[in-house]
Amino acid sequence: MADEAPRPDDTVRRAIEKLDRAIRGLGSYHMNACVKCGLCGETCHVYLAEPDPANLPGAKATEVMNIYRRYHTFLGKHLPKLVDARDATPETLDALVEPVYGRCTACGRCSLHCSVGLDVSAVIRAGRNMLAESKRVPEGLQRTVDNQIETGNQMAITREELISTTEWLTEDLQTEMQDDSVRIPVDKKGRRVLYLINPREVKFFPLSLMAAAGVFHAAGESWTLSSKFYDVTNYGYYSGDDDSATELTRRVMEEARELEVQEIILSECGHGFRSFRWEGPNWIDRAYPIPMRSVLQLLEEYLEQGRITVDPSKNTDRVTLHDPCNLVRWGGVSEPQRRVLRQVVCDFQEMTPNRADNFCCGGGGGMLSMSEYGERRVASGRVKADQIEKTGARIVATPCHNCADQLIEISKRYKLGVDIQAVVELVYSALV
Amino acid sequence: MLGIARTLAALGCLWVIGASVTQLAGAWGGGRKDHSQPQGAPRRGVLYNLTAAMLPTHKETVRHHLIEFAAGMMLHAGVLMVLLGAVLAVIDPDVGTAVLHISRPIAGLSLLIGVILLARRIFSWTLRSMSSIDDYLAILAVIGLLLLATGFGGGDGNLTGLLLYTALLLAYLPLGKLRHAVFFFAVRIDLGRRLGHRGTYPPPTESPHGR
Repeated sequence: MADEAPRPDDTVRRAIEKLDRAIRGLGSYHMNACVKCGLCGETCHVYLAEPDPANLPGAKATEVMNIYRRYHTFLGKHLPKLVDARDATPETLDALVEPVYGRCTACGRCSLHCSVGLDVSAVIRAGRNMLAESKRVPEGLQRTVDNQIETGNQMAITREELISTTEWLTEDLQTEMQDDSVRIPVDKKGRRVLYLINPREVKFFPLSLMAAAGVFHAAGESWTLSSKFYDVTNYGYYSGDDDSATELTRRVMEEARELEVQEIILSECGHGFRSFRWEGPNWIDRAYPIPMRSVLQLLEEYLEQGRITVDPSKNTDRVTLHDPCNLVRWGGVSEPQRRVLRQVVCDFQEMTPNRADNFCCGGGGGMLSMSEYGERRVASGRVKADQIEKTGARIVATPCHNCADQLIEISKRYKLGVDIQAVVELVYSALV
Repeated sequence: MLGIARTLAALGCLWVIGASVTQLAGAWGGGRKDHSQPQGAPRRGVLYNLTAAMLPTHKETVRHHLIEFAAGMMLHAGVLMVLLGAVLAVIDPDVGTAVLHISRPIAGLSLLIGVILLARRIFSWTLRSMSSIDDYLAILAVIGLLLLATGFGGGDGNLTGLLLYTALLLAYLPLGKLRHAVFFFAVRIDLGRRLGHRGTYPPPTESPHGR
């Protein structure tokens, strides 16, 4: 006997429509392929740290798929109990928040190792799309998105603060490089490169911005920052709010056009790279008129072309490399950072596993913004801590400031005693 | 009666093909152009995801669960062999009967594996907690087919029974969990295409996935 779905209220109806659009984008193949074999647990850092069935990637995805089935499959529509299909109601949407935000960093490691091959992280993001549409994004994550939309950057840094930071960084850089011509240019029209940075570089990791400026100067690069839209992050991607993600992409492209640059270079940021490089053109529904690359690819180019000279003996400590999921697994950038590091450090030691197989640090998916899941986030970092410990490294290079925050925290928690550095910082240290 | 069974099994085949094509086309939704500048080759990604990516050397779930992997392969091989025999029997009962005879040992082994997998789903709390009635029905449906195939002794009666059961199974296939047989290829092609476009797949040859 057919079991009619109740008439949803307006918020829930919009969430259902959002799910329709999300699965149309990725193809709903992935919603129909899970065989619930349960083998995915060991691929997930959250499950490994806390082996609760609710942390199985398949179980988390099933929470989204159960709602999908109710509206998109024959059995889900007519015999919902047979396939556990669930109506989208305020209650079921509330219950979806923890599985898709609190138990998953959407790192997608399970997607690559799924016995069938379904993209679990895409299913999870479809769930986030629904929750973002129905205003159920966890408060801290939503606040970060709001900051970006309202102020142009996720940390609500004022223009004055940015300018002030670039000024004192310039002074420090001139002293360090013993060169008064070094500048951190802001809002300069007609430069070759617009450099997007993580606002954390302004607030917490100024050495990273200083290092990049030093390397650009050494390479004779023509570049500028923008004081309006310089944020390489895109928290709309994490929250599932495609409208905000689209707006942030559009603003950056407009700013690049205003400044008449020839290329956009993205600072070391995993999800920022994925958002702008891969998702952005599809959000705005057209190809970018300006090319875009990661700074890692630019650094490799400098070394290849001899535009900078480096001496690895300036970095004698053992260095290992963390592969940010969105840069490597979902961004396809795994080798430039390795080729760069091999030239700028004496002792480079890979983690195992690495590259696309690498484990998430635990801080992805917007986890760092959601304090309610903080304890689970740090606990899930145990897997990464073990990986780091086995390398015997003194320095962990990580081309992502979001990962850097988490790695600093797990280094303290698990007493790893390692320094966390951006790749560009190691390049800067090796400049001759 | 055999004629009716053959007709129903043939209709079952057509139903599976028609429903699968409709579902896949609906899921595809007309496709979506990827506006991002490619960094790799989608076709190479698809090829990799349909071949090497499934091997124990590349897939962790397989590497860590070799016995389950081998059992799963065996189960699927047995089911496919029996379905092949049934489909051939629709066209020519003698050829189908011959194939079904040859399939009996494989079907028997697959039956044993099917029963073990069903027991695992029932007794593992982890699996039970995420299973729906459909998950049990799917494995029971397959066990039923393998049971008939293992005990297949030839003759019109046996063949009629097996074909009628096959028709039922095929009617159910596009509706429930069994449709993963079709979507398996779709998801691997889709993910391979996307990761190929981005240059993640195939992995760098100098150290594929760091091993």
